[in-house]
Amino acid sequence: MMLEHILVLSAYLFSIGIYGLITSRNMVRALMCLELILNAVNINFLKGNIFSIFVIAIAAAEASIGSAIVSSIYRNRKSTRINQSTLLNK
Amino acid sequence: MAIAEFLLFVLTTTLGGMFLCGANDLITIFVAPECFSLCSYLLSGYTKKDVRSNEATTKYLLMGGASSSILVHEIELQEIVNGLINTQMYNSPGISIALIFITVGIGFKLFPGPSHQWTPDLYEGMLHSWFSSFRDYECNRSIRRQKDHPKMIISWLLRTNQIRWFFFSIFLTCSYGTKVEKIEKNQSFTTTDEGFLEKLRIIVAFLSVTSKVAASASATRIFYIPFYFSSNEWHILLEILAILSMILGNLIAITQTSMKRMLAYSSIGQIGYVIIGIIVGDSNGGYASMITYMLFYISMNLGTFACIVLFGGLPPLAGFFGKLHLFWCGWQVGLYFLVSIGLLTSVVSIYYYLKIIKLLMTGRNQEITPHVRNYKRSPLRSTNSIELSILFFQN
Repeated sequence: MMLEHILVLSAYLFSIGIYGLITSRNMVRALMCLELILNAVNINFLKGNIFSIFVIAIAAAEASIGSAIVSSIYRNRKSTRINQSTLLNK
Repeated sequence: MAIAEFLLFVLTTTLGGMFLCGANDLITIFVAPECFSLCSYLLSGYTKKDVRSNEATTKYLLMGGASSSILVHEIELQEIVNGLINTQMYNSPGISIALIFITVGIGFKLFPGPSHQWTPDLYEGMLHSWFSSFRDYECNRSIRRQKDHPKMIISWLLRTNQIRWFFFSIFLTCSYGTKVEKIEKNQSFTTTDEGFLEKLRIIVAFLSVTSKVAASASATRIFYIPFYFSSNEWHILLEILAILSMILGNLIAITQTSMKRMLAYSSIGQIGYVIIGIIVGDSNGGYASMITYMLFYISMNLGTFACIVLFGGLPPLAGFFGKLHLFWCGWQVGLYFLVSIGLLTSVVSIYYYLKIIKLLMTGRNQEITPHVRNYKRSPLRSTNSIELSILFFQN
């Protein structure tokens, strides 16, 4: 019973995160949803694995790189909206 | 100060790829591609001032982040399945779900069929930024006095025939050596600006090729060792991916007008062929054919990305031998549908390769371009001998 609840919660957070990542117009919000996904996976490790610590570290690294990209975009464009990026369409 | 950053990114990327190829458990299979991908995001977004590269990096980062999170979701499902189910129950739905997740996760990294959206944008954004910044750098002596380290270092390396930093990636496959020779021979007849600057797309070539190699190596290990007993299911999944990527990659490449995007789409098609090799497996030399094809693919792609003007006629031909071996193994195992689609799409791909060659030969005004006049001193002869020797050795 306990097992099911944790799995359901993690699946729920995961789906919220994926939905938010796909449909967000703001870059910072997309990064937050990425973090949400990784944390949703993290609460699933039942046996006290060391793997969750790896996931935490990598999520932190990825968030820092994402923030660096966001800040460089902001300096160039003064906004962080993703739907303005239409330069690379064919 | 800036050079340390740049070299660090490149070397750490290579390190991540090497760790991936030598991974033995699931933790490494997660951490190593993450290490690789994070450094590739940094490499692709290195030129901060250019808006197009920023946009390309954004797309790459979001897609790559999503795919890594899907991969890690699969890994934890795998852990749960291993912890809860006896070793006799191989066909449980948990394994199927885990399998689907991991295929999607690896699918993003390797970019076959459905998840190829970010590849052409990435290539175009990165190439644009590096190309224009190098052109401004070389043509303007006043800029050169400034301490802009990566451009200085790379242009110095190319001017002085020392591409030692490239040798680090030889550990991934041995065919990077042929690329070094190509660059060195290219020095002799770069008369125009374009001819010189065409070589400077090394970064994108490096990224594209190493990510493919690393991801396909990890895919073979993952699909073959833990999922050995449910091999029917992942055969079907990989078949679908291979068909989609071959068809999509080659068909869309026909309609492209920008050369960089066309090469990106053609590389998507190449991955479809590689997946056939993964499906075939070990019994009939499937892995051997996949590795051979990867070698040819690497030399071909590195060559085209880095010296686009001098495509020549040989690289597609050598690649055809690799494809032939792949298709032959596939036919032996019984994947008739896949192999026939592969043959059709190879014929289609000849079309856009020949378009490049025709452009090379005739130029804009239907005249012979100066590059064809300089063809006698081309590097393709040296590439010939190396690829022919690889061919004979493998046969």
